[in-house]
Amino acid sequence: MNVYDIVIVGGGPGGSMAAKTAAELGLKTIFFERGRRPGEKNSSGCGLGPRMWKDFPDLMKELTPEKCPSMRAGSAARCYFINEEGVVAGYVMSRPTESVSYEPAKSWITMNCYRSEFDPWIAEFATNAGAELKSSTLVVSLLKEDGKVCGVVDEHGEKYKAPVVIGADGAISIVAKQSGLRTKWSKDQITLVPQYDFHAPPKKIDDIMGDEALAVWWSATFPASYQVFFNDGFHQGLGNWLIKWDKNPLFYLNRVINLKYYQRLLRILEAKPRELQSHLLPWLQYPYNTHTDGVILIGDAGGFPCPLEAEGIYPAMVTGKIAAEVAADAVTSGDASKNKLSRFDKMWQKTSVGEEFEAGEELYNIWKALPFSPKETMTWFVPMLMEALGGIYDWSQPHTKRVRQIAAHIKSYMPQALPFILKYVFPLVAKIFEDDLDDMMDPQKLMKALPKVMELLPKKKKRRRRS
Amino acid sequence: MDVNDLTNHIPGTGDFIKIDQNKCNGCGMCVRICIVNLWGIKNNIAFIRDDYKEKCLECGSCGQVCEPGAIDFNYPAGGTGVIFERG
Repeated sequence: MNVYDIVIVGGGPGGSMAAKTAAELGLKTIFFERGRRPGEKNSSGCGLGPRMWKDFPDLMKELTPEKCPSMRAGSAARCYFINEEGVVAGYVMSRPTESVSYEPAKSWITMNCYRSEFDPWIAEFATNAGAELKSSTLVVSLLKEDGKVCGVVDEHGEKYKAPVVIGADGAISIVAKQSGLRTKWSKDQITLVPQYDFHAPPKKIDDIMGDEALAVWWSATFPASYQVFFNDGFHQGLGNWLIKWDKNPLFYLNRVINLKYYQRLLRILEAKPRELQSHLLPWLQYPYNTHTDGVILIGDAGGFPCPLEAEGIYPAMVTGKIAAEVAADAVTSGDASKNKLSRFDKMWQKTSVGEEFEAGEELYNIWKALPFSPKETMTWFVPMLMEALGGIYDWSQPHTKRVRQIAAHIKSYMPQALPFILKYVFPLVAKIFEDDLDDMMDPQKLMKALPKVMELLPKKKKRRRRS
Repeated sequence: MDVNDLTNHIPGTGDFIKIDQNKCNGCGMCVRICIVNLWGIKNNIAFIRDDYKEKCLECGSCGQVCEPGAIDFNYPAGGTGVIFERG
């Protein structure tokens, strides 16, 4: 029997952060990785956000191209809008704006690197702190005494005993399952994300993409697809909840690749497909059942990816660190009961991750209704938006007439847009600004305001009086 | 482009996906969701292709979409199975 203070199942960024923190707090720590080394089983999650530099500055300042050669940061992000005919109807490119308040967020939108480099890099901080890493080892079950979890068993039957087990084992978590916290996700809690990795020469990427680090392809023919640029390649992927797929997910991803515009981009970048990847990603309104006697779930295992853009690494690191601190307290006090570990919830709720989930339900709903409902919503949203953004770039009529044409056309989308705004946008705005939704949605107020809004969009030209 | 040319695998996985054909209701969700097409339906019952161990991307979707709980997805033996070099 191997005896530890804490056992962590999973060697991703969350597990490594938990292991590092636990070891630094003096706990005898072991963490398990089923791959030969951390990162080789993980795909995506490759975009690192500036909050990581804000919250873990000592760690992140060590991240250099020598350690992670695939690193690439950029200040520009692009949103493409693709219509029902599969044509790029337009795009918007943006950089960090004046209101962005700190570095490195002012300098770049995202730092991208491959997980096969990032995960081993971060695991080394844990082993340097004294945690033991057991790789190429699959944990298959939990050890229990009197029905309570007290360790894990690996695939060879070897037992590892500890008062606290942290489940950092991803979307399909054996720790969650065997501790009774969750048998399976429901199909509207988990997304499937297929993704291609393309190789492209670094010089081509620099010359053609400039400082663009990220693009999102919003479309009426596939769920929103992301593109993330690395030093010598890029990912193109998309996801949707399991409940939403009406065809094979690769069919939709190939629709992105087969866009004329995309094919042209591949040609000029001299890009070649290099790897096909696929993974499940929990996408919840709010994490629940995160702990029980002797068990805490973190990162994807606990359902912590961001409810807006599904960022997973940062929430995993934040919850991993907190879980280790709560576990250390439990080990020292000799009490690893569910009640004692409930401090975990109180602590993550106070963090940036907790704040994100305060509007989790509203963010989830708008995401589900808009970019993840291409047929139902994006078919009118894309042309309506492009009418507003690009309608004026036209000289087929006198410009004043064009403005009236554009206004009338936008107005024609109101039967779809107004219910959408009432159902999804108002609740989100109310939550963000802590307004009273009932007051905002007061039918009398709305009935008064709506005709005025409609009147703002003129039906026809008013006759101008001659002087 | 053949998707199987874009994946790498280490052998020795063991039998990590199992189907209980008595529980299968033939709904075909596993066929729809698997991006490397490892599932098929024969006589209204799902089956997994013989070479799945060399092709599976270990996303686990098949186990998650299976309503009647006929598919038992587990991870392969440590240090084997799919490798993402640029994940």
